[in-house]
Amino acid sequence: MSQTSDLDRVAMIVLRYMRRPLFALLFVYSIGIMGMALMPGQVVDGETTYMNLFHAFYFFTYTATTTGFGELPNGFSDEQRLWTIFCLYTGVIAWFYALGSLIGLVQNPHFIQALDRFRFARKVDRNREPFVILCGFGDTGSLLARGLSDHRKRAVILDFDPERIKALGVRDYTVAMPGLHADASAPKHLMAAGVDHPACLAMVALTNDDDANLKIAVMARHLNPRLPVICRSTSARHEANLRALDNVTVVDPFEIFAQLLYWAIARPELHNLNAWFVGAPGVKLGAPVQIPRGNWILCGYGRMGRWIHRYLKAHGIDVRIIDPEMHASEAGEGTVTVQARADHSALVTAGIDDAAGVVAATNRDSDNLSTLLSVTELNPEAFRIVRQNSHENQVAFDAARADLVLQHSLTTARRILKLLISPLVQELIDWLAEREPAQTKELVARLQAAVGEEPPHLWSVRLIPGEAPALTEYLDAGGAVALGTLCRDARAFPEGLPCEALAVRRAGQSIMLPDKDFQLGIGDELLFCSVHRVESMLQATLHNPYTLRYIVTGVDEPRGYVFAWLEDRRRRRSEHKG
Amino acid sequence: MNLERIAFGFFIILTLSLNYAFVAGGLETPAHHNIWILTLTIIVNLVAIGLKLGDRSQTGALLLASGLVAGLLLITARVVWIVAESGGAGGPGPREMADIVSIATGALVANIVAAVILVGDTLLSRR
Repeated sequence: MSQTSDLDRVAMIVLRYMRRPLFALLFVYSIGIMGMALMPGQVVDGETTYMNLFHAFYFFTYTATTTGFGELPNGFSDEQRLWTIFCLYTGVIAWFYALGSLIGLVQNPHFIQALDRFRFARKVDRNREPFVILCGFGDTGSLLARGLSDHRKRAVILDFDPERIKALGVRDYTVAMPGLHADASAPKHLMAAGVDHPACLAMVALTNDDDANLKIAVMARHLNPRLPVICRSTSARHEANLRALDNVTVVDPFEIFAQLLYWAIARPELHNLNAWFVGAPGVKLGAPVQIPRGNWILCGYGRMGRWIHRYLKAHGIDVRIIDPEMHASEAGEGTVTVQARADHSALVTAGIDDAAGVVAATNRDSDNLSTLLSVTELNPEAFRIVRQNSHENQVAFDAARADLVLQHSLTTARRILKLLISPLVQELIDWLAEREPAQTKELVARLQAAVGEEPPHLWSVRLIPGEAPALTEYLDAGGAVALGTLCRDARAFPEGLPCEALAVRRAGQSIMLPDKDFQLGIGDELLFCSVHRVESMLQATLHNPYTLRYIVTGVDEPRGYVFAWLEDRRRRRSEHKG
Repeated sequence: MNLERIAFGFFIILTLSLNYAFVAGGLETPAHHNIWILTLTIIVNLVAIGLKLGDRSQTGALLLASGLVAGLLLITARVVWIVAESGGAGGPGPREMADIVSIATGALVANIVAAVILVGDTLLSRR
């Protein structure tokens, strides 16, 4: 539907642009050809010859395009030569006019855009691989696209800014990522991006404008009610609106940032596990950042500062706030506030000497970096957490050697990636966050034993005939398999494979950290954490009925009819004797 | 150790060895090729196919397929031999012999494939 309308638009622009040049060509050609046919040619045997219409057309074609073969098919008379001169000038001018118009058309921005849209819609429509629609290609969007590309997942990208879409063309993604510069909140562009395409997995609204995100989410809801939508939102009003829609997940970058920061301060083991799961560079499992307890200084009380304050206060961490524009009453009773920029004197006033750490969380990177310098000078012992706003300033933040750098575009992109690739992982982290730290520590110890020093590989398997034929067949036949049994190593029966089942999703319910006796059922989705090698071992068990039987019973059953028959006979005979 | 694996491995490798024993020698020289070896190869190959019937695993299916290919080619070679023998005096001539040996060489390739799959599968499962 949208495809034809785009094609129609392209055709219409071409026709409108080329109408006059085409008419000019037609006119000049007709005059030239007719004139040539009427001009008396050379006299042969006392009779004047005339050029026939086909030869006149042939002559005009090579003359008007300035090819000029000469006087063909016969030598011309002087009258014909006169007419040739006329034909040459008019024909060449008409051709140049037509060519110029064509070049103008190709450069016309409307035409280029219409053509881009048409090509984009066609590309999306022909795509058969599952993909995600990404609206907004800023810092977060490009990080998310990179993450999706690392997982070999496709994305279709819409952004308002043509420069960003141009930049998309020069990235080295592992999969095709078609992009279009268009207003993502317009339904026709969402349709072109494949919002109702059967292979569309989800839509992510990531623009900087909350209104636009809300609009995109609402449009997507109406166009395809089954499509999961992940929507970025930073204001409470929009969030309330979005939560009213089902199938929409709201992601607030400031809240995610504050949550991570709180985990880093109060739940280091959980922060460490989370960072290890998402594959943050330089993170070692079981070696969380050691953060001192005590009073914290928060520099910056904007939207992010408020979230951080709320999180830290709710968990009993004392915070002093430095911000030039806040009122003392805003932060609530009993909070020390300093109304100034976070420079030397303000830090001293806030009591930097006995502070456990500082969070530099303003929305200006230069301010945050200068605060870091002051803190290093005043209290080198203080733990320094800094917010990085722009991805471009990476080198400066690396050089600043803060104890912890949190970049909200990166944390948001990672959170959304987790929601898209393995939602169970996020559920697990949230589940652990609500429980005692001891439980996280126990899981970390188990994972350390299973995975060791290698980076983690998370994968999920659904127990359906397409993904686990041997196991579903076995369960269908009335067999029972426990989780611990499935994880046995067929090479070293009855040892277990070094892998941990993190979660099971059954009929819409999630069961976290299932134990070894958990009985598997058809349709369960299992989330495993281990290394790549183990996944292929487990896949072999799930696909090969003999391997599965072997790990369940420990007996290698006969495969061919002959040996099955022999085995049967042997067993019957021994029963007979017994 | 598994009796079925021993039996199957024995027959697969015996087929390969016999097949090579038949093929080895001059292509067109009837004196280099023994009809008894060819017949034995067919029998051993058929036993190997029979042992693989009923296996539902992927490698089992592949082994069955390669066994069937080898069987088909070997039987074809035997039939050509019979036809050549009945036609003239005292066994196949150089032309017929070349046909028979090249078809049997094709069967040899299928047998090599089967042996490679068998060894690879055993090494990969490591038990």
